[in-house]
Amino acid sequence: MKPEPEKLLETIAGKLMVEIAPNVQPSYRQSSVLLTALLLGMVREEWDRAAARRVEENSALRTIFASAAPSVADAELRKRLEAAASSRDESYRVSALETANTSLRALLIDLHAHVEAQSAPWARAVEELIWRELAASTERRRFMLAPF
Amino acid sequence: MEELAPRIAAYAAEKLPGARDVTAFDVERIAGGASRETYRFKLRFREGAREVERRLILRRDPPGSLIETDRAAEFAAYRAFHGSAVPVPEAVWLESDPRWLDYPFFVMEELVGFEASPQAIVMPPYAEHAERTAREKWTILGAIASADPEKLGLTRALPVVAPADAWRREVDYWTHVIDEDELAPQPIIRAAIRRLRRSPPPPPRRLHVVHGDYRTGNFLYDKDGSIRGILDWEMAHLGDPLEDLAWSLNRTWCWARDGRVGGLVSKERAIAIWEAASGLRADPEALRWWELFSSVKAQAIWISSGREYTDGANKDPILALSSVWLTNSQDRAMLETMGKLS
Repeated sequence: MKPEPEKLLETIAGKLMVEIAPNVQPSYRQSSVLLTALLLGMVREEWDRAAARRVEENSALRTIFASAAPSVADAELRKRLEAAASSRDESYRVSALETANTSLRALLIDLHAHVEAQSAPWARAVEELIWRELAASTERRRFMLAPF
Repeated sequence: MEELAPRIAAYAAEKLPGARDVTAFDVERIAGGASRETYRFKLRFREGAREVERRLILRRDPPGSLIETDRAAEFAAYRAFHGSAVPVPEAVWLESDPRWLDYPFFVMEELVGFEASPQAIVMPPYAEHAERTAREKWTILGAIASADPEKLGLTRALPVVAPADAWRREVDYWTHVIDEDELAPQPIIRAAIRRLRRSPPPPPRRLHVVHGDYRTGNFLYDKDGSIRGILDWEMAHLGDPLEDLAWSLNRTWCWARDGRVGGLVSKERAIAIWEAASGLRADPEALRWWELFSSVKAQAIWISSGREYTDGANKDPILALSSVWLTNSQDRAMLETMGKLS
């Protein structure tokens, strides 16, 4: 696709902000145009990284599950962790990667709650891995214009 | 918007039986909070030999909103503080019958000529008055905290909770919102909620009025940095005053992106102003609990706005923007409060 989607979104957002919004009245509609331009800017930022961040994150979560599974006594949870750890991203379409990511993050919540309730050293080690991954996940999702 | 004008005039005529020739005009929708549709308009009528013109604000419930709130509570809060050290516009009419304007609404006085934008406050000419704005902002919040809800009549308008249960009611409510509205699993917010429940804060000595959304963006200020009106009371309730203080300090409102809370002053300075004004002490541990809670609540609102937009109940771009732009910042704020931001 040429021009590239990033270029298109950047140009359209710029036009909305600089040329169109100032000529739109009343102020509520003008504000809607400006907000739409900001949104397009974020879509542009997300478009380039959408697949990469999901592939990276899905892989990181599977690694945590593989590391935790042998120590988890809860048979049902262990089975889910083993299954998730051995799964793979079969398609790199963003929708398919997102479906896998949703399922993996749901399992992460269950694992996190489980290890918080355990006092053994392995649980603390897994908890540390989880926190590190959660911090990394927010870095992957950051927007240039984020307030924090 | 002009189709609203005759309907507003008909309603006003009903509420002003002594008035003649009631007309509403210059009806304009404005960006005034995402939880209700906000319009400014002028109302003109004759009262005896006198012609009266008032500039008013209409806040109408939309089909879908960012925050599902009780307009009666908001109206009561405006009424309670009008004429006090907490500057608020006069609340005029509250109407729950949808026959007038399709949805429930209330009308209040318009405070004209002031700025509300959180982006403008960090830029000239307003930025040079940051210290004064901050002093007024947290002094007013201190006045809200030190107010007696019983004397203000707010214990009749807002649900009363035992002080020891104030934290639980808030956590339960916002957890429910997240359970209902989340579009994807949220590991950070779930960890934060578990932490909040594991170590509750000490209860306040008594119930206080909590504004519920006290932040830069929800007050009007003038060119000299003076605060002229506290708005957006739609989440007002009774509870722990540290809830409001923590909300005002939330990282997401650091509009200057330099760590100054509300885009104004350091966190320590804001707390010191509030303590002096309220006569209360912000216990650091308890405040940290409420700061984490404030991120959970804010995240619940961003999640909710994403849900409203996705389901099509409300296609206002502010809902999509809130969800897309702020969710990650809020996650980072939660990690920081929990000491987990690397």
